Amino acid sequence: MAKYLAQIIVMGAQVVGRAFARALQQEYAASQAAARARGRSGQQSAAASSLTGMSLQEAQQILNISTLSPEEIQKKYEHLFKVNDKSVGGSFYLQSKVVRAKERLEEELNIQSKDPNQQSQNTET
Amino acid sequence: QASSMVAAGLALAAAGFADHRVLCNSAPIVDLHVLLQAFGGGYYRGGFEPKMTKREAALVLGVSPTANKMKIREAHRKLMILNHPDRGGSPYLAAKINEAKDLMDDQVKKSS
Repeated sequence: MAKYLAQIIVMGAQVVGRAFARALQQEYAASQAAARARGRSGQQSAAASSLTGMSLQEAQQILNISTLSPEEIQKKYEHLFKVNDKSVGGSFYLQSKVVRAKERLEEELNIQSKDPNQQSQNTET
Repeated sequence: QASSMVAAGLALAAAGFADHRVLCNSAPIVDLHVLLQAFGGGYYRGGFEPKMTKREAALVLGVSPTANKMKIREAHRKLMILNHPDRGGSPYLAAKINEAKDLMDDQVKKSS
């Protein structure tokens, strides 16, 4: 009985693994195709969105920023982090999104600073 | 068999790596996020879900998924005051708070 159970688990893991690998492959191919149009930093940006599970666009929406300036990011972040703190009755989940948004935007600034030719682009999905 | 245990563990790890929420969706005995918060960490990862679920709505409002209408309304009101766009709040977050309230109100209606 246990032997069959083990076989089922292993088969299940293989199915999951294969589907996961296929999804990764498709995702990579799609991002490669998109990145080819946008250049290296676009590729890194898409990768960052994929890795963090947060798109650049959503990060900007969460912190309500229009221009990717470190000052604006920090100012908006500090306010939103403070008002969503548990000690004042805020939601930890919302505060988490604020934190992740700041991290995503800082990653974007990091990517852009490494590419001297890159203009600031807000077209990523 | 040790190898089947390893396989099961690897499958779980792979699923968790793909989306950690897989591990968190079942009701845990100890809430990992609550535990990590005590150490100044444990922030939820990723952005909002593409389509808000009841689980996410409860997390947004900071209430139990089985909260009653009054609790939902209190939480919504409190969070909207804190996050009001007219007072430096983010319109996107305010929209999420409203969406969470609507979703939970629908759930309360369905179960009553």
